[in-house]
Amino acid sequence: MLSADEAADLIEAIASRQDRAAFASLFRHFAPRVKGFIMRGGTDAEAAQEVAQEALIMVWRKAASFDRSRASAATWIYTIARNKRIDLLRRGQRPIDTEDWLLVHAPESEDADKSILAGQTYTKVKELLTGLSTDQLVVIQKAFFEDKTHTVIADELKLPLGTVKSRIRLALGRLREALEKDET
Amino acid sequence: MSRHPAPEELLLDYAAGALSPAPALAVALHVALDPAARRAVDRLNAVGGALIEDEAEASLDDAALDQAMARLDQVAVEPRAVPAVLQPGFEWAPPPLLPHLRPGMGWRRILGKFDEIRLDVPGDAYRVSLLRLEPGHGLPEHKHPGYEYTVCLQGGYTDATGRYTVGDFAVGPGDQRHEPIADAGDPCIALIVVERPIVLTGPWGRWLNPLVHRGII
Repeated sequence: MLSADEAADLIEAIASRQDRAAFASLFRHFAPRVKGFIMRGGTDAEAAQEVAQEALIMVWRKAASFDRSRASAATWIYTIARNKRIDLLRRGQRPIDTEDWLLVHAPESEDADKSILAGQTYTKVKELLTGLSTDQLVVIQKAFFEDKTHTVIADELKLPLGTVKSRIRLALGRLREALEKDET
Repeated sequence: MSRHPAPEELLLDYAAGALSPAPALAVALHVALDPAARRAVDRLNAVGGALIEDEAEASLDDAALDQAMARLDQVAVEPRAVPAVLQPGFEWAPPPLLPHLRPGMGWRRILGKFDEIRLDVPGDAYRVSLLRLEPGHGLPEHKHPGYEYTVCLQGGYTDATGRYTVGDFAVGPGDQRHEPIADAGDPCIALIVVERPIVLTGPWGRWLNPLVHRGII
């Protein structure tokens, strides 16, 4: 296993000294997970592996833009993998910015006192996810991992759209409440 | 806190990468201008990160790592990204809009009352425009058969649903007619994403709708 701090150290090692061993460690941990994530969207194993490789190579290229006070390594890698997946689905069109500007450029001034929390959000979210009911976790997983809008999720689970919306809203509401309690 | 935030499910679809490029641009601009929306999307991205960390590991070919390592020689570690340069005349444009602006782009006067810049965003189901309204002027009364997303980027406007200022997000009122009027002060600039052509309902509608449908105005 790789802790959040260790993963952030590895990305910083790539940024500061092009550390190939650090890249290999990150790759061993995240590439199989990214591959699994891409496959959930219906992509075959071979193409998903290519996307995972490309995502991790993007981690290498953009390592200097990673900022552990804004996002955890897993969150940052998630945004890269997500954008790679969007490109995959829109093959032939103009690729979108791989850089999630929010995690790189968003002004911090008005959130200055919250910048430390940004890094902690991830740990907290991880804890909270384990507290969700299976029903809630399933809709959240589908929304994130299978690239599905609410309407499609409702179709698949054979649930009314309103039920899917309320499950998602409940799940997100619990996360938000718990996190906001921490922020104030 | 914005008085008119985007619906949370739209933020979720954005963070999950499930939105088409045009609505995704509208949400990105809202997020850029509204700290509360930014925190919400930060949290949702963190959910994505936590889920990926917990994701079952798919097996990789033994050669996968070697192949990736072999490619690193050709891939430089780039210096930290610097914010894109603002184009003159577009100082009000938040960062996510900049890739869509081209040198020489200019406002085109429509109907003598408002100006438009049509943006080229992939995906043909949506029409994406920047609109500029002079204070006190409005759009002709219209309704939306499909979704409409509006993000206010400069100044403000008021319609029957309330007053919208910089960063505010509106989801089109569906069948309801509305007639936004720009507030006093700087001209109101907004990004509008329309799912299908709008329908003008005022006295000029029957003459102008055919032009709207053909994308002329």
